[in-house]
Amino acid sequence: MATESSIAEELLKRPLYVYDLPQELLATLSAKSEDDAINTPDDAVITPEKADDAGQEYAVATSTSCALCSVSFLNVQEQRDHVRSDHHRYNLKAQLRGNPTLNEIQFSKAVGELDESISGSESSSEEDEDDGTQLTALLKRQAKISQTCEEEDAPSKKRAGKHPLLWLSSSILPSNTSLGVYRALFSDVEQEEPRYLADSLRKKQLAPINIPRNNGQTQGPSASASPHVFLCMIGGGHFAAMIVALAPEIYRKQGGVDERQARVIAHKTFHRYTTRRKQGGSQSANDAAKGAAHSAGSSLRRYNEAALEKEIRELLSEWRKMIDDAQLLFVRATGSTNRRILFGQYDGQVLKQNDPRLRGFPFSTRRATQGELMRCFKELTRVKVSQIDEAALAAAAAKQREETSKPSTPRPQQQKPKVSKEDEAAMLHTTQIQALIRRSKIPALMSYLQKNSIPSSFTFHPADSQQNFRCPTSLHFASNLNSPAMVSALLTKVGADPTTVNGEGRTPFELAGDRATRDAFRVARHELGESKWNWDAAKVPSAISKADVDNRAERERKVAEEEEKSRRKTELHRLKMEDAAKEALQAKRSGGRALGSVEKTASEKREEEMRGMTPEMRMRLERERRARAAEERIKRMQGN
Amino acid sequence: MAVRAQFENSNEVGVFSRLTNSYAVVAIGASENFYSVFEAELQDVIPICHATIAGTRIVGRLTAGNRNGLLVPTTTTDQELQHLRNTLPDSVKIQRIEERLSALGNVICCNDHVALIHPDLERETEEMYYPHHYYSLIADVLGVEVFRQTIADNVLTGSYMALSNQGGIVHPKTSIRDQDELSSLLQVPLVAGSVNRGSAVVGAGMVVNDWLAVTGLDTTATELSVIESVFRLGEMGPRGAGMGNANKESIVESFY
Repeated sequence: MATESSIAEELLKRPLYVYDLPQELLATLSAKSEDDAINTPDDAVITPEKADDAGQEYAVATSTSCALCSVSFLNVQEQRDHVRSDHHRYNLKAQLRGNPTLNEIQFSKAVGELDESISGSESSSEEDEDDGTQLTALLKRQAKISQTCEEEDAPSKKRAGKHPLLWLSSSILPSNTSLGVYRALFSDVEQEEPRYLADSLRKKQLAPINIPRNNGQTQGPSASASPHVFLCMIGGGHFAAMIVALAPEIYRKQGGVDERQARVIAHKTFHRYTTRRKQGGSQSANDAAKGAAHSAGSSLRRYNEAALEKEIRELLSEWRKMIDDAQLLFVRATGSTNRRILFGQYDGQVLKQNDPRLRGFPFSTRRATQGELMRCFKELTRVKVSQIDEAALAAAAAKQREETSKPSTPRPQQQKPKVSKEDEAAMLHTTQIQALIRRSKIPALMSYLQKNSIPSSFTFHPADSQQNFRCPTSLHFASNLNSPAMVSALLTKVGADPTTVNGEGRTPFELAGDRATRDAFRVARHELGESKWNWDAAKVPSAISKADVDNRAERERKVAEEEEKSRRKTELHRLKMEDAAKEALQAKRSGGRALGSVEKTASEKREEEMRGMTPEMRMRLERERRARAAEERIKRMQGN
Repeated sequence: MAVRAQFENSNEVGVFSRLTNSYAVVAIGASENFYSVFEAELQDVIPICHATIAGTRIVGRLTAGNRNGLLVPTTTTDQELQHLRNTLPDSVKIQRIEERLSALGNVICCNDHVALIHPDLERETEEMYYPHHYYSLIADVLGVEVFRQTIADNVLTGSYMALSNQGGIVHPKTSIRDQDELSSLLQVPLVAGSVNRGSAVVGAGMVVNDWLAVTGLDTTATELSVIESVFRLGEMGPRGAGMGNANKESIVESFY
């Protein structure tokens, strides 16, 4: 056993390359059923890279670490760089907000999801420029995610499409270890035959090319002939394409350590300014939506879009032979503009939409750069190692199932008991009667009671509701609404019992809120006679005839009118007195003459006008006046 | 050496003064006792500027500075700025900062080499983008490396940390791990401690430079001895190490 486990450890220590797996592992590989793989928790997937990091953390036990981001560093400079990094700043803010902090891998993933919108090439200076916006965007996004995460959780579990990884097991590895290979690496035919996955994987193996240390420069003569894949990404004015040979190169480093490297046959990137800053979207999309803009920026972007398309198509036709020979084509092109550049109809088209070799990247990718393409290639061709204790997983699943089933059991108890037919009818009558009383529809109420042969002693249902507790009968209800006509109708025509009491022990009379309703009860007592009901029990005071009521009302009206008249009289008198007083006051005031308003004689006025004028002005004015006077005289003489 | 002082019955010396290796700023209108504490140590060594900032006397909380520069908030008046400019040495850059968090002394903690700042301080304050390069306000004026950090989960780095080139005191509840990390980041020894008989706001409770610390009158002898040892105040004087005279004075001082 010990030797076996050591072999396994040895095997898994280095990253496994899909196209160059160790012989002993290859021989024992077998495909796993898909169901097992789907419920794999993500954090259990350990790529060797991550394992390396963990080892480092244990080895360096100094204070040059960051507990917040759970990373450690070799020296102070690294630590300082980290503290200035977005990752640290993000975690700092997340901690202050009470959000969970992210480790390096989670953070880069989170940023990667944002990356589509970020522009510029990968040069370090421009990267810095992006950082701030990137971080704020991420923080904003995080806030949104934390709000909606509960809602999103449930449905996402249900829609499990095809899992991007195919899982294999090996007899020389421990039973809880399985190896994952991206589904996209297999052809459509191979994917359909899951039983022969291991065989098709065996067929894919390629002999590595040994390159001596001293003449590493020499290219194999059949560079483009060897099996290779084509990768390209386009988006936001960035384009990166690469052709990578599948056969790995092996460099022999000093000390006899083999270094495996991917051999890039050709690569090219273009970056053009095409996306509208701050608004987002491409210029062509904006032109199509809102008509062509005439700014300097828009024409720049329009030109750049055309230039990018031309460059990309030229490059593709240049690589035509290699692309045609490629085993697989990995393309990321989202959006119609981007797809049109690659797949649109044009002369000498290289990439075809319906090419069976065409694949998307089965994971999130970042901005189209050469480095990103290289990362994607490594990610695609690396064998994932997953170590899961399946028994524990099953136990966890069972436990979860139990928990979900638990809360459903007490539910039936809360359900209401079945409503009987009579109760249902009573409830219907209640609502109908109440509605009619509320709208004072006396004839309609009569006919309804008659038609359904409802007894006068009918009580509302359900009795325990708040309203029905206070007003259990229609008489109570009418009285409570202060509806005298309804009360008298119920008492005299329907024969409602005024002695019934409500839940508070009150008779209908006691619920009456105004005099008219109370009078309706007294009039009814008069009309029905003392013997009909026990009126004292109903708390209705002495009987009173309709005429008496009317008389009293008349009397009261008269008194009120009288009062109003006298009030008006006094008011008029008061007003008159006030006016007189005011006049007197004014008369008193007008005795004197205001100082300022003394009438001025004509000469005085003239004097005043001329005051403060220069002698010349004064003369001119004088002359004018004389002229006017002369004109006046002449006019008068002519008139005579 | 470490001495005790009081500003108008308040122990929060760091609120009313700012002490650096090349100048000191104290609030106006205090008693002569307070000024004489500074003057006794700093006279003829570095200028002591009596000033207000934005018409207030809380100069220590509103400003941040070190040997190389002084940052003042946007609320500082032109007259105050001119007065500072006239009083402080020409080598000291003075910069008025447009920043929402205007109590710069609370959000920036620095010595002559590094600065710890509030995580939410605006990026423009930390660095401004000019065509082709970053122009960093804090870093350029103060000549420091800038780190956004918290101290014991407190964002007010300037309030909860007193820092000199020799050492630093942080909030008494800072975990050992955080202390180690900060110490490694700043490359100075740190200790978690208090001033003014148990006050956690060490930044506001005292001022310190490479040879002098002034704390509140309530500071206990134990606190004072911690301060003296972590800031290595016994060994250094304004004109270098080993001022026997200063040593003796500090011993007598801490006796009363």
